This record gives sequence, structure tokens and C-alpha cells, in this order.
Amino acid sequence: MKKSHFWGVIVTSIAVSLGLTGWTSTAVHADDTKEIIFWNPFTGPDGTSMQSLVNQYNKTNPKYRVKNVSLTESDMYSKIPTIVNSKKGIPDLQIVHVERIKDYVNNGLLDSYNPYLKKFSGINKDNYVPEAWVNGAYQGKRYGVPLDIHTSFMYYNKKLVQKYAPHALDDNIVTFDEIKAAGKKSQKDDIAGMGLTWWKPLFLSLYGQMGGELTKNGKDPDLNNKTSRRVVNFYKDMHDKKITTQDGDDPMQLFLTGKQIFLPEGIWMNNQIKESDIDYGVTNAPQLSSDSKKIVNWSSSHQFVLLKQPKRDQARTEGTLAFVNWVRTHSIKWAESGQNPASLAITKDPKYLKMQQSFLLTNKVEQDSMTIFNYRYNGYLADYLDRYAYDAVFNKTSVSQYLKKMQNTVQDEVDAQMTN
Amino acid sequence: MAEVSLKSHEQVSKHKRTRSHPFVYLLPHLAIFTIFFFIPLIFGIYIAFTKWDLVRTPVFVGLDNFKNILFSNSIFHDQLTSGLWHTILFVLISVPFCVLVPLSLAVMLNTKPKFAKFFQGLFYLPSLFSISAVVIVWSLIFNPNYGPLNTLFNWNQVWTGTQPWAWITIVVLTVWWTIGGNMIIYQAALNGIPQDYYEAADIDGASSWKKFVHITLPSIRGQLLFTIVTTTIAQFNIYGQPLMLTNGGPNGSTTVLMMNVQQNAFGSGQSLAGISSAMSVILGICIMIVSMVQLFLLRNKD
Amino acid sequence: MKNKKQGASQWLSFIFLILLSIIWIMPLLYGVMSSFKSNIEMQSVGFKFLPINWILTNYSDLLQNTANTPVFRWFLNSIVISGGSTILVLIVTSLSAFAFSRLRFKGRNVLFIFLLATMMFPPVMNIIPLYKIMTLLGWANTPWAMIFPAATGAFNIFLVRQFMDNIPLAYDEAARIDGASDWQIFRIIILPLIKPVLFVVALFTFTGSWNDFLWPSIVFSDINKMPITPGLKLLQGMYVADIPTLMAGAIIAIIPTFILYLVAQKYFLQSMSLSVGVKG
Repeated sequence: MKKSHFWGVIVTSIAVSLGLTGWTSTAVHADDTKEIIFWNPFTGPDGTSMQSLVNQYNKTNPKYRVKNVSLTESDMYSKIPTIVNSKKGIPDLQIVHVERIKDYVNNGLLDSYNPYLKKFSGINKDNYVPEAWVNGAYQGKRYGVPLDIHTSFMYYNKKLVQKYAPHALDDNIVTFDEIKAAGKKSQKDDIAGMGLTWWKPLFLSLYGQMGGELTKNGKDPDLNNKTSRRVVNFYKDMHDKKITTQDGDDPMQLFLTGKQIFLPEGIWMNNQIKESDIDYGVTNAPQLSSDSKKIVNWSSSHQFVLLKQPKRDQARTEGTLAFVNWVRTHSIKWAESGQNPASLAITKDPKYLKMQQSFLLTNKVEQDSMTIFNYRYNGYLADYLDRYAYDAVFNKTSVSQYLKKMQNTVQDEVDAQMTN
Repeated sequence: MAEVSLKSHEQVSKHKRTRSHPFVYLLPHLAIFTIFFFIPLIFGIYIAFTKWDLVRTPVFVGLDNFKNILFSNSIFHDQLTSGLWHTILFVLISVPFCVLVPLSLAVMLNTKPKFAKFFQGLFYLPSLFSISAVVIVWSLIFNPNYGPLNTLFNWNQVWTGTQPWAWITIVVLTVWWTIGGNMIIYQAALNGIPQDYYEAADIDGASSWKKFVHITLPSIRGQLLFTIVTTTIAQFNIYGQPLMLTNGGPNGSTTVLMMNVQQNAFGSGQSLAGISSAMSVILGICIMIVSMVQLFLLRNKD
Repeated sequence: MKNKKQGASQWLSFIFLILLSIIWIMPLLYGVMSSFKSNIEMQSVGFKFLPINWILTNYSDLLQNTANTPVFRWFLNSIVISGGSTILVLIVTSLSAFAFSRLRFKGRNVLFIFLLATMMFPPVMNIIPLYKIMTLLGWANTPWAMIFPAATGAFNIFLVRQFMDNIPLAYDEAARIDGASDWQIFRIIILPLIKPVLFVVALFTFTGSWNDFLWPSIVFSDINKMPITPGLKLLQGMYVADIPTLMAGAIIAIIPTFILYLVAQKYFLQSMSLSVGVKG
């Protein structure tokens, strides 16, 4: 009796869900369907934008419809090598960050666009933001077509800027000196000057401004040097003087509750900040110098790539490129989640020009400020910067130890790689 | 007695034609085990002797990976030694709690107090949650800005970012999350001890502690052994708690071996699957050695 | 005198248990309460146990956002996967345990110890080759990818076998003399008697599969096919700074295992009278 009751629960629930989920339709993609599988790491507002972009495309009755598959970024990157290796269920179109391309090409994970580009003359360098376009090519071949160029810039609280740094924004360049001066005044009122948010862009942007390079010979990392020491000490000094947020603080929360003046963050966070009732503006990431020619805004780019297929189908691939080409002229949807599309067609759209992030694309000086740190072994460096993050700035380890370990980690990992 | 019944058992079997081959009963599990566990395991061990990026064909390199992680002064050697040390540290701190806390709960529940069933349900409850859900709940509790611990007591502690608190938060979470299974096993075991053992001890005037040491513990020795070994194995595989609660910090002090295994195989750079696999082989060997030592020390002496 | 003493320890235990259970339930209750708060309230107000404004929007928003986070779908997928795993494990485990406990064959103990020893390797080692096998079978993104690996474990066989060993052999013999086959002994005599331990195995398997984390996040790429635990991780990426919504997701995820537990709990008590027989 009791037993049947128990089994009843399980069996009914299975029966119900079998009906609802239709789990018997197993195949991820069958090659004869006229559907393109498109993998991307877009979740949250980005995910919604991409889905509506894809829906819009499918309404145009294309020869090949697009199926949008959103994955979490880390899961997606774990899957790419395994799925290419297994030679089954490989998506037709894939979004990766631009810094991955060199490594992926070397590992034989990508097919080049070159044989198909003749038919799609719109996909050329004149139609894209140069920094994003240039980095999509490697060894003279095109592997990535940029969807966007996303930048880590800076949000500021208008009221607090007026109070503590009234002239900082006159030239749209907020220097570290200006932040320090404001932070000194504001800390008396228990207001933080600047949030220590995502370490990787903060570190790399200042490293770039100071003229640092990630590698000298293109292979071996060069991370433990005078410049990198200066960068870490620079932030450490700001932290020790309580200009910045401290360990355990949540900079985003402090900003949203009006307890922090400056928030260096990605343009992709705009939606979340928009929802709050903070009166805010956006500007360049914090700079060392107020010379507009020297601005560095850390950027990356989502690029469409073609994962290596054992047998690439000409018609399917052209169907895929048709979508990529269509996105180029319809990417206003992509801008709505706060992103900057890499297609220059967007800069003629009045709707876009009203968006806050548009200042980065509309003039040449700002376009040049966007810098992609495209070191071939960027992945190892990124993992280190994300895991150990502010440990040196927060005095949990010494600066020299921190940088020595960073250098050794990346160097040893590069050396341990499988070579061609 | 046992021998006699065994003999008759076999005698009967000789006369019966209805006996099926034992293999028939083993087949379903063995087939599934071989395809979905054993073959992948062998291949996984093989990878430890290769250089592999998960994409191309693995290249056999002999013992290079083991030499690299065991005897060189590369970063992988650091990753292995510090990761293993942190894992062992966690095992040493958490296993006693994960045995003693549920054991005392089971002893208390075994006195059959009011609402025993309710209590049992409550202590088992967290075991039903996935690690993601558990970490979501606890990172709220430990949140330095608006977590109840800091706001309620007016503390200003960065729980997950400073030692020894980082380890303490991980252990508290683990104990809270995992004791349910062991508690059930102990409860069952305690329930099975014949009441007359205790009655006899009462007549001799034994104290509660003496009864616990001389009657209770020996009677549940088998279950204790089982849970100590399984708990140790489970804790050696610790991964989700430090990954999601402390991200291995502060300064890598809670980075356990599984995190390094994972990052080397599925990190942002080209996969170092060979090194990753060699690290997990070492971890597997450690687990085996520890389990065997435990089995040896706690073996039935009669 | 004896009753008095027992009464005292009973009361002492009762008080301790009350204290401990308060500690145990508080984080969870606080989490549940937080799921009814707005994010602004959560972040700006100091310690408040109960929400000032009770809101349900965290739940409704989450359930309505079916394009990005099909929580209900994940939920059903998880039920299929965990239910399927449980059934397969029960069948496979009881058969195998029967062979190890009741049937004599050459190399029985060696095989058994071998099975247990392999369980000591960290599961991460199998993941890459296992993924390859699943793609070869075309099982990636299907429930099978989780159901079959769930049935490889030997610990369950160990538990069930130990329990069976406690059932007197005399039962089998009596049946054998009456002409029963092995299969009949298994079906008619053993199976009903091991019911309690099977409930324990069922609960462990169901929750284990429900909460499995590493493997499903590798083998499921289709957002509509994945179970709820990797789904929760997806939520975590999406609502980084929105703890109340995350909490709502976590609470939705624990409901089924909770219900299953309520159903199975009485069998735990039943299994106690027969004792989960684990002997060293």
C-alpha cells in the first residue's frame, strides 16, 4: 500500500513531465534541417536582446532559420573543445571573446571565413570599428566577425560629483588625481571615492596607460616588471588611503545607494543601474593623464566565429553568414541592452545616438581609446587575475609575491601547452 | 551454525535446475558500470600520461606530467602541494564534525523525545539542497554589508575574505549541509541495539558515559566505519563550497586541489588536460591510501 | 528510578534539540523571508527578519522569464532525470546486491572490493571520456546522460548487500526446499524484506541526482533540456546583485526533494526497526 503510494508519486511525475518536455526528441541538430544552431554566452539583458534579434531575423523568412542557444560563459567555454573534438553536435555559429581567437586558431578549433566572404561584401573593414575588426583576423585570415566592442568605462553619481569634484568632468576625462582629491573630501562623510570593481580591466587599463606590454616576443608573458609593480602599488595606495572601497564592500551596492562617487564598470551593467533611482552619468574609465590622445578604455569584443566542422557544408555556411551580415545592419537591438555594436552602420541611427554609451563610437578619439588586450595566452592571465584579484591591493599578500606568482603561473602554463 | 546452513544451501543448489547463473543478476550493473564508469576511468588515467588539449589526439609523454607536478619547481607543483594541503586540512577539520555532530544528534533523538520525527526531518532537510542553493543561502548570511551576522550584531567582519574565517565559513556550511545522511545511518544503528544490553548495564550501575563507550560505540562500529570512510572520500572531493563561497581566497588559502584540477582542464586558456588528470590520479591515490588506513585502524578486531 | 533517569535524559535531549534546530533552521528561514523582499529593501535596510513589504514579484518574474530561465521546465527535466535515475538504481542495485549476498560464485569478494575501490577516484577524471561516450551515443542533452552514470555506483550495492546479509539464510532454504528458483526467492522473499533500505537508497539517489552539479553543466548545452541545478548556476550569473530573486530560485529548486522526503520519511523510521545493517 505504502509502497504503491511512493511509486505513484514518482511514476506520475515522470509521466507528466514526459508529456510536457518531449524528451524523446533527442538530436541537438540534424544536418538536414534548415536550422542554424547558434551558441552564445548571453544571459540576463544581453540574452533577451539576442533572443529578440534572432526572432526578428527568423521573421524575415531566411533560407536557414537560427536557433539561439544561451549558455553560461564558463560552461560554454568548457564545452567548445570537447564538442569540436567529439565531431558531433557542433554549433554552426558561435560567439567567443576576441582574445580567444589566436589560441583557438592555433588549436585547430576554428574555420576561416575567407572562402565565403566574396558573396558578402558588406562584411569588410570599412563597416566595422577598426579595433574590433583588426583583432578578428589572425595570420592573414579572417576568423572572427565582430558583434560588438564592449568597454569598461565609468559611471558617476551626478550629485556627488557636484559636491566633491565639480570640475572633474569638464573635459570628460576623470583623472586618478581628481578621484583622489574627491575621495579625500568624501571619506569624511563616509562616502567612497571609487569602487574597486572588476580587477582585470582596472589592472590592464592602467597597465596600458603606463605603457606596459603583456609580452615581448608574443609567446612568453612579461608580467613581473616595473610597470606592473607601479600599477598594483598605485591601486594599493588608493586603497590604503581609503579613497577606494575596502575589502568586503560591494561597490555596486554602495553606488546604487548613493554612497560612492565613481563606479568603473562595464557598459553592459547599464541596465541594472538604470533600474535604480540614482541620477548618474557615464564617462571614460579613470585616466592618469588628461591628454585625450592617451586615453585607454579596456575593451573586448564578442565575435562570431565558425567552429571547425569535419565536413563544412557550403550552403549552410552561407546561410550562417547571411545571419551575421544581417546583424550588421540591425544591431540597434543589441545596443538596447547597453552594448556598443561593432558595426558602424549603427552610428547613423538617431535612436542609438541618444544612448549613453554612444559617445565611445561617435568620435575618432574615443574610438581609438578602446583597447583590446589581445595577448595570445590571455586566458591563463585572465584566470589568474580573476582568482587572485585584489589580494595584493587588500594587503593579503605582498605586491612582489603577487606579481612573481602571476608571471610564473602564466609562464609555466604556456610552457605546458600542447604545441603543434 | 553458519557453516551448516551454508552447506545445506549448496547441497540444495546442486539438485535444482532452476538456479540461474549469478552473472544474470550482476549483468545490468556491470554493463552500466563498465560503459559509463570503468572505461572512462581507464581513459582518464591514460590521459594523465599524455599531453592533451581536449581537441587533438593526445600525445603520450610517459611520466612527464607526474614528474612535473611532483618533483619540479613549476607552478603545477605548487598547485598540487598547496591544493592537496588545503584539501587535507579541510578533511581534517570537517570530518570529525561531520561524524560527531550527527552522532550526538542521533543519540539525542534515540532517547525518543517529543517531536523526534520533526527534529529528524529538520536536521536532514539541508541535505536535500544543491550546493548552488546552499551557497546562495549562506553567502547572504555571511554578506559583510547586509548579511544578518554583521547587521544584527554590529560586527564588521569580512567572513569569506579573511582567515581563519574563510575556512570556518566553509566548514560551517559543509556541516550544516551534509550531516543528514550520517545522522539517519546512526539513528538506524542505535535503534538496532537490543535494549537489554543497557538494562544489564543499569543493574551494574554504569554511568551514561560508560554505557555509551562500552555498549553504544562497539554496537555501531560497523556504521561508524562506513560513515567515516564515505565522509572522508566525500570531503576529499570538496569543490563547490570554496569555489562559490570564497573563490579560493584569501590569497589562494582555500584553493583546494579539485579547483586546480578543474581550472587546468576547463580554464580560460588552452586545456592542460594531461596535468589536470595527473593531479586527479594523485588525489585518487591519496583517497585510496587514507581509506585503507582507516579500514585497517578501525577494522573488526574479533 | 530507571524511568526517572530516562525521563531526565529525554528532557535534556529535547532542550538541546530545540536549541540546535533553531540554529539549523534560521539560515533557511532567513533565506525564505529574503525571497519575499525587494532588492532595494534587502540592500538598504539593516537587519530585519521579516520583509517590510511582502512581495511575490521575485517568484513571478522568475517564472515568467521563460526565454532565459525556464525554471519550470528545468524543474520538470530534473524530475524526469532524478526519477529515472532512482528507478534504474533500484533495479540494478537490488539485483546486484542479491547476487553478492545470496549467490555463490568464484571471485565474488574480489569483484565486490574492486567495485568499491574504483569509487575512490575523483569523479572529475571520468568527465571528458564520459562526455565523448555520451556524444557517440547521441545522448548529450538527454536525460539518459544523467540516468545511466547515476547507476554505476557501488556504495548503494554495499548498503543493500549488508542489509540482505542480515536476513537469515533459513528463509531462502525453506523456499528452496519448496522448489523456488533464485528469481522467485528474490522476488517473493528478499525484495519485500529489503524495502526499508531501498527507500533509503531511493532518497539518496534522487537527491544526489537532483543536486549533481559538475557533470550536468558539461553535458547539457540546451537551456531547455537542462535540469535545475545547473539552471540555478545560470540564474546566479544572471542575477548577480539580486539576492532575493536568486533566493526565490533556490527555494523553487528544493521543493520536490522536500516533498519526496516528507513522503519517504516514515520509511526511514520503518527501516530503523529493521536497522540499516552496515557491518565492518
